Amino acid sequence: MMEFLFQILVILLVARLLSEVSERVGMPGILGEILAGLLLGLLIVEETETIASVAELGAIFLLFTAGYKEVHIEDLKASSKKAIVATFFQIAAAFIAGFALGRFFGFDFVESLFLAVAFSPTSIGVVVKTLLDMGYLSSKPGSMMLTSAIFDDIIGIFLLSIVVTVGKYNAFPTATQFMLLLGKLVFFVGIMVILGYRVFPYIFNYVQKMHSKESIFAAVVLIALFSAYFAEIMELDAVIGAFIGGVMLSNVAVAKINDIQSKVSGLAYGILVPIFFAHIGMAVELEALNTLGSFTILVVVLALLGKLIGGFVGARAIGFDSYESFIFGSGVMPRAGVELVVISIGRDMGIIGEEIFSAVVLMVVVSIIISPIVLKFAIQKDKHKNSSAPAS
Amino acid sequence: MTAEGESSGRQAFSEEEGLDLEEKCNEVLVRDIMITDPITIKGEAPIEKIFDLFNKEHFHTYPVVDENGDLLGIIDQNTILQLLLTRRVSRLDHTHLMAVRSLSQSARGIMIPHPITITSDTTLCEIAETMIKHKVEHFCVVDEKKLVGIVCKSDVIQAIYSSRG
Repeated sequence: MMEFLFQILVILLVARLLSEVSERVGMPGILGEILAGLLLGLLIVEETETIASVAELGAIFLLFTAGYKEVHIEDLKASSKKAIVATFFQIAAAFIAGFALGRFFGFDFVESLFLAVAFSPTSIGVVVKTLLDMGYLSSKPGSMMLTSAIFDDIIGIFLLSIVVTVGKYNAFPTATQFMLLLGKLVFFVGIMVILGYRVFPYIFNYVQKMHSKESIFAAVVLIALFSAYFAEIMELDAVIGAFIGGVMLSNVAVAKINDIQSKVSGLAYGILVPIFFAHIGMAVELEALNTLGSFTILVVVLALLGKLIGGFVGARAIGFDSYESFIFGSGVMPRAGVELVVISIGRDMGIIGEEIFSAVVLMVVVSIIISPIVLKFAIQKDKHKNSSAPAS
Repeated sequence: MTAEGESSGRQAFSEEEGLDLEEKCNEVLVRDIMITDPITIKGEAPIEKIFDLFNKEHFHTYPVVDENGDLLGIIDQNTILQLLLTRRVSRLDHTHLMAVRSLSQSARGIMIPHPITITSDTTLCEIAETMIKHKVEHFCVVDEKKLVGIVCKSDVIQAIYSSRG
């Protein structure tokens, strides 16, 4: 017990401190948290099962809060068809790049599929600050990036649920197995929708009148855990359930009182999620990166190029000019939360080895550092073109 | 000893008075104390008009309604402050949702949808309890989807205070 307390204390302390350092130098806190794990893994802290369990809770709450705080069903409805085209291209290009790379280096089908899914999502939060600073948030590619990002989480979760099932069968599912998976997913979502629209509002109506302390907060946490557990029963992954549970709660007024939102956010981003990111850092094997040097480099390069080129082509396809398409492509390059969740699940299932795991973590770190720089460059190019256009 | 004596001297009212007050509060309904014609914002109202409203008036929150008077959401000072100084918002909140909100040109786009509501027959005791327990500052009062009023913490305090007689 004492050892556990010491480990949690050290991990959380170092993660929080380096997260602050990271923010101070203008980078997202996640970078410092991964680095904290990397340092601690090298120096003192051994990865234990208890820490791994706390980290898993971190992954669950990371995706739960993404659904609970950030997804609005109305936004999805309002998103244009054009955004779907651009989103499809950038996700497809990254996915294909990841899969081809895995196969090229002799990884088996399922491993390559995990790599492909880890290549696919985008973490728009990393570049929002850059867009704001450059005054490009409201630009055509800027708002397209945001609309595209709304779809990204959903598509990422869908791909993850497929790859988790494939991982369980350890081969591409037959038509029957695929239908079974789809059936389970539809059944799960169906039940969650019924709960979200019919049951949760009633539960919260009752819960808010309860006398016990923190009843609403506890109910929100319980629903996060229930959704995660229910998904596991359905042989989907816990994080998928947590995300969908979060989306279903996003329309329940009582569950979204400011006070409750800030408590959920405090539990997630104050404690559990930093431990998850630090745990990812701890699991990185630097030797694995060395042994397959060219693979690691290609993972980083292709993951970034896949998004850049896919985004560029997608944006061109819907009528953006080259400069705007370059901005869109570089804006969808960053990866962070979901992709780390993907590889951590793959690792837990024993599907992906140290090489892929460590290379993807490095890719995430590089993408967080590089994307804002490339985006800034792309925007400056566009500004330069616009300022010289009237003169010519 | 002196401090103890002073503090019991300062006690607002006895336990008996407290019970009596609770009983009285249970008889007061929200419809008796709510503001019945709050300033509302139309769903399609442009953003500049909303900034202007927050500049002129000093309420913390305004309900957003559609053309039938049905409640759509609320806009509060926090939202306005975030929109005015988006760059100052913590990086954690730099989500696409925040970004989409900061690009919106109408009330519908920036409002907080699904605010917490109560019906006009809720008792004063019930809303006071919710306000204390869950740190809620105000409620939109809605009867059959229609906004019929708004009640905030100061209204509740005033009502309880005057119930003391």
